Amino acid sequence: MELGDKAVGFLLTMTSLSIFTYYTFWVIILPFVDNDHFVHKYFLPREYAILIPVLAGVILLSFLSVFLGFVMLKSKKKKTT
Amino acid sequence: MKHIFKIIAMLVAIAAIWIALIETSTVPRSYTWLLPIYLVVALGCYGLFMVGFGLMFFPTCPQEAVLLQQDIVEAKEFLSKKGVDVGSE
Repeated sequence: MELGDKAVGFLLTMTSLSIFTYYTFWVIILPFVDNDHFVHKYFLPREYAILIPVLAGVILLSFLSVFLGFVMLKSKKKKTT
Repeated sequence: MKHIFKIIAMLVAIAAIWIALIETSTVPRSYTWLLPIYLVVALGCYGLFMVGFGLMFFPTCPQEAVLLQQDIVEAKEFLSKKGVDVGSE
């Protein structure tokens, strides 16, 4: 139990750090690198730097609202019975 | 109440820097437009990092748990001796 929690925490930390590093590189540092540099091969076109976070946010928000609605429906049913 | 002023001041400072960057266009404008989204992503990463870090080093005290269980057993014995119903195990 405790080990599982630690593993999940480590995974979350590593995920957030890697996402932060990659995104910082993509948005902050890449504009100052020449266009024909080999580093550009490892990054998607810049439009995706907007598209992916917005898409992730929309998916997260919709998932959250579906979950909230589900919980509210469940609690209402419990009250009536 | 003090905290919110700090946050608002920080947001205003960031907005001022951003507007200055857009107006002076030291870097191409299409790159400057990405900065707010970058800030949102950085905030999300910070939150995720804090949750993961807290989960990794969650403070537990196993000795205290053992002591507490001992106390519970002692109290149950005492109460049942006095004739109070404390429920089954």
